[in-house]
Parts: sequence; structure tokens; C-alpha cells
Amino acid sequence: MELKAYAPGIYPRSEALVQATRDLDRGRTSREAVDRQVESDLGELVGVQERAGLSLLCDGMLAWQDHFRPLAERSDGLDARPLTRFLDTNTFIRAVLVEGEPRLSEPVPAPALPGGRWLATLPSPLAFSRATNGAASAQLLAANVLAPQIEAYAEAGGSLIVLSDPFMARERAVKELLGSLAELPTSVPLALQLPFGDAGPVLDELAAAPVQAIGIDFYSTSLEALPSGYPKEVMAGVIDVRSSALESPEEIGRFVEGLSARNPAGISLSPNGDLQFVPEPIAREKIARLGRSQTALEEVA
Amino acid sequence: MSEVRFRTQEIGSLAKPSWRVKTFAGRPLEDQDIEEAGRWGKQLDVDGHEELVEGLRSNSLSREQVDDWAAIYALRLLETAGLDVVYDGEQRRTEMYDHVAAFADGFEARGIVRSFDNKYYAKAAVVEPPSVTGPQDVEEYQFVREHTDRIVKVPLTGAYTMEDWSYDEHYSHEGALGGSAERRYEGRRRFVVDVARNVILPNVGGLVLAGAEWIQIDEPAATTKPDEVPLVVQGFNEATRGVEAKKSMHICFSDYSALWPHVLELEDCLELQLEFANRDSRELGTREEDRPGYADTLRLFKEHGYPNVGLGVLDIHSDFVEPAELVRDRILYAAEVLQDPSRIQVNPDCGLRTRSWDVVYEKLVNMVEGTRLAERELNRAHAAPSIR
Repeated sequence: MELKAYAPGIYPRSEALVQATRDLDRGRTSREAVDRQVESDLGELVGVQERAGLSLLCDGMLAWQDHFRPLAERSDGLDARPLTRFLDTNTFIRAVLVEGEPRLSEPVPAPALPGGRWLATLPSPLAFSRATNGAASAQLLAANVLAPQIEAYAEAGGSLIVLSDPFMARERAVKELLGSLAELPTSVPLALQLPFGDAGPVLDELAAAPVQAIGIDFYSTSLEALPSGYPKEVMAGVIDVRSSALESPEEIGRFVEGLSARNPAGISLSPNGDLQFVPEPIAREKIARLGRSQTALEEVA
Repeated sequence: MSEVRFRTQEIGSLAKPSWRVKTFAGRPLEDQDIEEAGRWGKQLDVDGHEELVEGLRSNSLSREQVDDWAAIYALRLLETAGLDVVYDGEQRRTEMYDHVAAFADGFEARGIVRSFDNKYYAKAAVVEPPSVTGPQDVEEYQFVREHTDRIVKVPLTGAYTMEDWSYDEHYSHEGALGGSAERRYEGRRRFVVDVARNVILPNVGGLVLAGAEWIQIDEPAATTKPDEVPLVVQGFNEATRGVEAKKSMHICFSDYSALWPHVLELEDCLELQLEFANRDSRELGTREEDRPGYADTLRLFKEHGYPNVGLGVLDIHSDFVEPAELVRDRILYAAEVLQDPSRIQVNPDCGLRTRSWDVVYEKLVNMVEGTRLAERELNRAHAAPSIR
């Protein structure tokens, strides 16, 4: 069987890039020098993914500070300011302030990756709304900000858009999410990824979501929670981005056997969230193991 | 009714002076670093500060001597500002997590991860049950005790925060993929208990044996996962079990509504020192609508009656220097809600390490002055004859 594997989301910066951004903050280097280091990191990351044999490439969102800020900065009516804890992680985002009707004024540029071979990650409309503390609705943000951004990515050759939603599994606001997803274009396949939460209680209802795949964090969701014969592709979060421990392809293989036995419409492999939660050398090795797992499973099939 | 008198206290860290930072980084000192040492030595009336200045100028001081001077300077800053309860601003510690992880067996450094923007922190993994061969902070405490006559409160990183901020390569790694939530919770519980019993309790025991009278357990991660607050409580109780000393807990930048009723199970906890000012208005006033950062949480203290409150009145993330009158109004509002001033002590929201010493000093001086203003107000009200 063909088994796809991806590594969507924000990838950790190399120590060189961390140092460059620190130096920029302290006035010790230039923006151009930081940009050169970003390009260097991107080249390394593409190489890591290609050597791992991943199905689609990601740019690691190396210039994104969090999932929301570049969108807020490029939208009228939005601003990113107060530092806010990001759910149950020891990391923080800039909450998005709503100062007028949100509208994307200039899309974030597409990743500098070969057309037709890349995916991009965006916040789900619900996650975006939660980043505004509910000041803007998921539906409004979907229609006015995310939809034009997705169109821009589609026109630039994106093959898949992963909508990251770490709030859904906690809040179970399925109706609100489904209503907002209806505002998004269908010009490119969408996947809804649910990092860091037990997706079990919402999987039945999410079967109706207008997306190709549902991403499940199987370090927070037991396999038994997946309904048998699930009608969507399961983007299985089999790499734990909140653990420094390296996954064994054999263990992933055994897990995928169990997953296959539940007969979902399709299976792809991914991390369970952004790899930025581990240091870059560990993230690099995790991608390699994701690729080895994919290859081993394809050979068995 | 006895006269109202609030205790003023620090919470933990202060910024390290540039001369201390550069000495440990192996970077050369500049004239302004040495001038700073002289300026603060004079301002704080530090005995023998000329020796420090000369030693820095001639590069003749050991790192240990520089650490001692930094601790003395921090103590004098807190004393001169007028605080009743002091420590050394954690001048000898790298950072609250790394200080413990680098000392205890069972942790291995794994690298840096982003906290926010371009800010990163070092993270370790637990690879076997953590333990220590002896108490970690006794010498640090003894130095402080020998150099101040104020009340000393020793801040220690809590077991739950150590667990939450570490990678787990031991307790629940095997079989984690596709496993149950109960299994994950149990792994985290065992991690917390091991840190509490085998890392923190030996330190607490050693400190108390050396004379420490007050231990503050810092748990900034307390409500990161709201359903795990019982683990925070268990970690505190295990880490302080059988210890004859005052015990308190500091929590900040958290969802305090998740703390109750679990914190009622904290054993012999004098108070929770919480951050409030960060979420409050800067306008004067003692009505509920004037004090949005305090109202909801103080009601929980009032409703449950336990423990007492260490009232954060200084925002540690801002250079805004709170006027004494603003501090006064925050305390008066708390006294009004709790209807019992004896349940209140006064502190900054958190450690002040992100602020310059100039800002810190001004803030603390105003904190003490505002506290005295609040006391006067309350004592005047109690002294006034009732009018029928």
C-alpha cells in the first residue's frame, strides 16, 4: 500500500539561527544575515525530508514565531501583542487583538519549494478564533483571512494544507469548527490536525468535516478510540514532538498494523504536532525515523 | 483587634549584575560594569564594596568571590528597599529549572527549545529515577543567613514544575504510542513523587537542619494541565513531609481557578504567593471594578478560607513603577474582600530578574511604602469609634 508521511508545522531553528535571531535582537547582526541563515536552515530541512523520503515537503515555517502572528501582521483589523501561555505547553504565543473587521491584506508568501511537492500549515479557523480569545469568530476568520491565504497557497502549487487545531480535542466545539470549515476553498486538499489532545470524543462528529484527513495525536488518544471503518484518512501522529525519546520504527510498525486493522479510509504518518517542541538535532532524527517507518511499512505491504 | 501589620517579602530571582554575568561568561569587564559595582555599593551602603571594585578592576577575584559579592549586593538591595523577608536573588543559580536538573542524577541535557519569539530555554530529559547524594542549597542558605538579620525564605523549584518542564525518557516512554490517558497520568505521578521525595525533600531537610525557617516551593507550571493540579499538591506534600518549618507555595501566570479545591489538601501551607498585578488595572481605586486582576481569585481565597495569600502587587514584566498609592489600593481591596488582613502578606508578582536593578529598587521601595499606607488606613479605620 502507498503510505504517505509528512512533517507539517513549525520546525525548530538550528543553534546557528537561534544565535542569529538573538544577535539581531541585541543589535549585533543584520536582518540580511538572519535571512541568509534562514535560507541555510531551509536547505538543511529540505535535505532531511528528502533523505527520509517524505511524501511532501514543508518549509518548517522557520520565520513564523507562532501559528498566528504572520497572518495577524498581514491582516487589517488584527494585531498580535499580549504574551499568553499556549495551552498546556511551557511556551507562549502573542494573543491576537481584534481592532476592526479582520481581512487578509497580503497573503504570506508561499514556501520556496518545488511546485506540487509541498504542503503548508495554517491554524484552523477555531484555533485562530481562540487566539483572539473569541473576539473574532471562526467563521469570519475562515472567510476573510484563511480562505484567501489558502487560495494563494493553492495558486503557488501547494498540494495539501494542514489546519492545526490544538483546541478542538479539549473544547469539542465541533459545530463551530464545521461551520467555519465550510467557508474554506476546495481548490486544494485540507487536513485537520488535532495536536496534544484526546481526539476520541470528537472523531465521530468530525467524520462530516470537509477535509481529506483527520490528524490524530496517538500519544494523547488511545487506538481504541478510533471508530472502526473511519470514513476519513487518518493522519496518524506517531512521532511525539513533546518527547526527546526517539521512536522505534518497529514500534510504529506494530502500531500501524493495529491501526490498519481498524480499517480507516486511509493512513498517513506524521508527528503529533509541531516539531519545534524538541531541539533541532532531535527533530532531525525524528524525521529520519518517520521516513524509515514509512519505508518499512511500504515494503511489508 | 490587634494592629494591622503586613509582612513584605521578595519572591525569588533578581537580575545578575553585569560584572557577575561577564565574569562567569569569561568576557572582559568594561568600565561601566565596574562603575555599576561602585554605584550600587555606595547606594546600598555595602560594607567593603571598594574591595569588590578594586578586585574587578584588577581581575583578581575568583568566581566564588564574585558570587559572594553578588549575593551580598542582592541582599542589601532588598534590605535597603525595606523588605521584611529576603534571600539572595538566586544570584548563584543559573535558572530555576536548570539549577536542579544539572545537580540531580537522572536528568540529561537535551538542548534548547523556544519559549516565545526569539527566547529559548534549556530542557533536560529524565532518563532514570532522579536522586541526589545530598542537599543542594545549604551553603547558599548559610551564606545568606550569615549576612542578614531579616527573615529568610528559601525558594526551591517544585516537583511538578520539574516534571512538566522535562522530557520523559523513563516513566511513560515505553508503550506511550496509542496508550491510555490513565497510563500517562500514572507515569507523570511517579515522576513527580520521585522528584519530591528523592531530590527536593533531601534539600529541604538539609536546609531546615542548617536552620532554615521558611521554604517556598515554586510551581509556575501548576495549572499548565488543569487536571494535574492534584499532582502539584502531592508534590508539595511529599517534598515537605515531616519538615518543621514554615512552608508556602508560589505560582504565577496561571489559571488560578483550577487550584481549588485541590489546594485545600496542601499540608500546612502558610500561603500561596500569586501573581495578580500583571492582570490588573493601573488606575487607583478599591472598588471591585478598579481591581480586575484581583477580584476573582481573592473570592476563591475568601470562599475556601485556606491557605493565606501572598499578594502580588508589582508587575514583573513591566518597567512601570507602581505608585505607593496603587500598592495601597490593591492591599486595601484584598483586605476588604478577605475581611481578615492577617491572611495577607505583600510581595511582587514573581521574581524580578527581568527588570534592571534601578527599576526593581524603585518598585520595591514603593511596595513597602504602599504597604505602610495601607496599614495606616486600616489601623485608622479600626481605631475610629463606630458611629451609630
